[in-house]
Amino acid sequence: MKRISSIAVWIAIAALGAGALGSIALHRGEQLNATWFVIAAVSCYLAAFRLYSAFVAAKVLALDDTRATPCERHDDGRDFVPTNKWVLFGHHFAAIAGPGPLVGPTLAAQFGYLPGTLWLIAGAALAGCVQDFVILFCSIRRDGKSLGQMAREEVSERGGFIAQLAVLAIMTILLAVIGLVVVNALKSSPWATFTLAMTIPIALLLGLYLRFLRPGRVLEASVMGVALVVLVVVAGQWVADSPSWSRVFTLSSIALAFAIIVYGFAASALPVWLLLAPRDYLSAFIKAGAIFSLATGILFVRPQVLMPPLTRFIDGSGPVFAGKIFPFCFITIACGAISGFHSLISSGTTPKMILRESHARFIGYGAMLLESFVGVMAMIAACAMPPGVYFAINSPSSVVGGTGDAAAATISGWGYPLQAQTMIDLAHRVGEITLWNRAGGAPSLAVGMAQIFSSTIGGERLLSIWYHFAIMFEALFILTVLDAGTRVGRFMVQDLGSRAWKPFGRTGWMPGILLSSAIIVALWGYFLYQGVVDPLGGINSLWPIFGISNQLLAAVALVVATTILMKMGRLRWIWVTLLPMVWVVIITMTASYQKIFDANPRIGFLANANVLAAQIAAGRIPAAKIAETQRLIFNQRLDAAVTGVLAAMILVLIVEALAQWYSILSRGTKPVLHESPYVATRWAANYSGAAHGDD
Amino acid sequence: MKHAARTTSRFLRRFWRGLREWCGDAAYESYLRAKARQSASCRTLTPAEFYVEQLDRRYSRPNRCC
Repeated sequence: MKRISSIAVWIAIAALGAGALGSIALHRGEQLNATWFVIAAVSCYLAAFRLYSAFVAAKVLALDDTRATPCERHDDGRDFVPTNKWVLFGHHFAAIAGPGPLVGPTLAAQFGYLPGTLWLIAGAALAGCVQDFVILFCSIRRDGKSLGQMAREEVSERGGFIAQLAVLAIMTILLAVIGLVVVNALKSSPWATFTLAMTIPIALLLGLYLRFLRPGRVLEASVMGVALVVLVVVAGQWVADSPSWSRVFTLSSIALAFAIIVYGFAASALPVWLLLAPRDYLSAFIKAGAIFSLATGILFVRPQVLMPPLTRFIDGSGPVFAGKIFPFCFITIACGAISGFHSLISSGTTPKMILRESHARFIGYGAMLLESFVGVMAMIAACAMPPGVYFAINSPSSVVGGTGDAAAATISGWGYPLQAQTMIDLAHRVGEITLWNRAGGAPSLAVGMAQIFSSTIGGERLLSIWYHFAIMFEALFILTVLDAGTRVGRFMVQDLGSRAWKPFGRTGWMPGILLSSAIIVALWGYFLYQGVVDPLGGINSLWPIFGISNQLLAAVALVVATTILMKMGRLRWIWVTLLPMVWVVIITMTASYQKIFDANPRIGFLANANVLAAQIAAGRIPAAKIAETQRLIFNQRLDAAVTGVLAAMILVLIVEALAQWYSILSRGTKPVLHESPYVATRWAANYSGAAHGDD
Repeated sequence: MKHAARTTSRFLRRFWRGLREWCGDAAYESYLRAKARQSASCRTLTPAEFYVEQLDRRYSRPNRCC
């Protein structure tokens, strides 16, 4: 009887999901309520978790709870700490959920709500969650080894080196592009700039408190920090209203870029307890609160989705970024559907803290489903505003026109009615000077979030506070990724440098710290500066390279996973990782080719460089701007070279993997698997972590 | 009624413990418990030493994603 009712419940969930998906996909004409998105996503996630992840756990990976996990064998209270599965789920989710699932779907909304939403749901269920889950399992079986170590041991020495380079490449591009998102969110906004600037002294204060007054008392320090952050968000309004203070905090894009570069260097070189860690604590609490509030707000307000299912820009002429729906929708939305960066977390801290192998399903697969849901909420927030407003905020002036009237006329001409006065009023209502040309996703997401929040609490009166709270939330945790990433990048540079000169690798040696910090900051800082001065808006060039490098890392992870499954003798099930790998390689290679060679100068880097060179040759560039244009030409060619190198790395890795797979399949003998030996667990079946044993 | 109050109080206790573990507030206590389980004779770190050492380790590898 119980079995029959369980089957009935799952049939009902599947039918509900199918019905909601059908409503989203086939809906035309009247506006659609966002509740359908939530029902479709949640039903699909439940079905995917109950059915597909159970299949992967039982058949493909054959998880074994009698086997001791790394935290039982090495229990040291430092890295290897037995952790309750709900707590570890929270840890893992906080680590994987960065700005990507918020910004990517917001940018991809230019294609309409449908492609991005379907990719978020299907991509996560069939590819992203599988990648996170399988890599977590592989790392658990290898004492928590990193992706690079596993690639070196299971694929080849060269595969491991490519993984290491891929991590450095993605780190560089990621830091530049998220820096650009912050610049575009803060430029000409004294309120937002003041708020974010104040988070630095707040973090320093918390750092000193946690180091000297109450060591390690994170919770009480975070509560104080969050209260202070809320205070500075409100105080920002007074700064924006004061003519003298407002001038101090109104910064240009270039000034903001340099401020972020200096901040990144300082966060990397200063002791981690002083600035980086306390900022991270603040960010984690605010992130959790903001995501929970957004979900509650959407369920409470149930906004209408004003964006059409498909826009005219599926043909590749999009103003936010150029390129057709295939492959650029799949490159733009990486985090939220499949993100290679997650494999670094799945093979980092999490495998060292997991209690049982079976928890990997809930933590690896489940946390990624939740991140995908964050992406769907970002899509709802972006699509709940009038399309004209969305395009006005996210389009660069070189595409829509330099004045409000010209831009409104261009956008209205696309079929999305907009009046210049609407944008002036909206900027006034959210407490900004202007909202035109703020590409990067953060401001439009903040407008969407503020409208949802203010419909729940405070109404129009609190719209500007909510807008700046949303901007602060996005910028705060973007900068947390930026400073943590710069520090990790510094260690990578030191590690690579130590091969040439040993002392450079000493992590406590100050000249080494300063030089390696300067190198990594110079690398991403150059791309950030290039994005800031790019007349096409920067995001158009940098976000696709970021998507390509992120998917490159996903390809590395899936190659490693497929190789390990093959070595484990699970040949029958390798399609589980092989098919997502093939898909990721196809989209990455197609996007790389188009970004380098496409004849449209808004898509192809080389075509753009050639157009600019031809303009110089024809004398159409004023003498004063020739040097600047030559720099732009160099940058376009550099972007083409970077994209080419990323694509070449994928090809080399595929060749390496194919050679390895051929040798496994043709040898006939059992391949060498570098798993830790089996040790039976001594923990009772109901043991749920050190701190929970007493309850 | 009594049962509901007991269940709520138990849930809140668990939630509080989970929150402390999630944010790192209980890390030193976990370290002390692990230390007690081990027979190794190396010196036990003070809360401040443990805090700094733990942060240095945590932030030397990718721990925040895009």
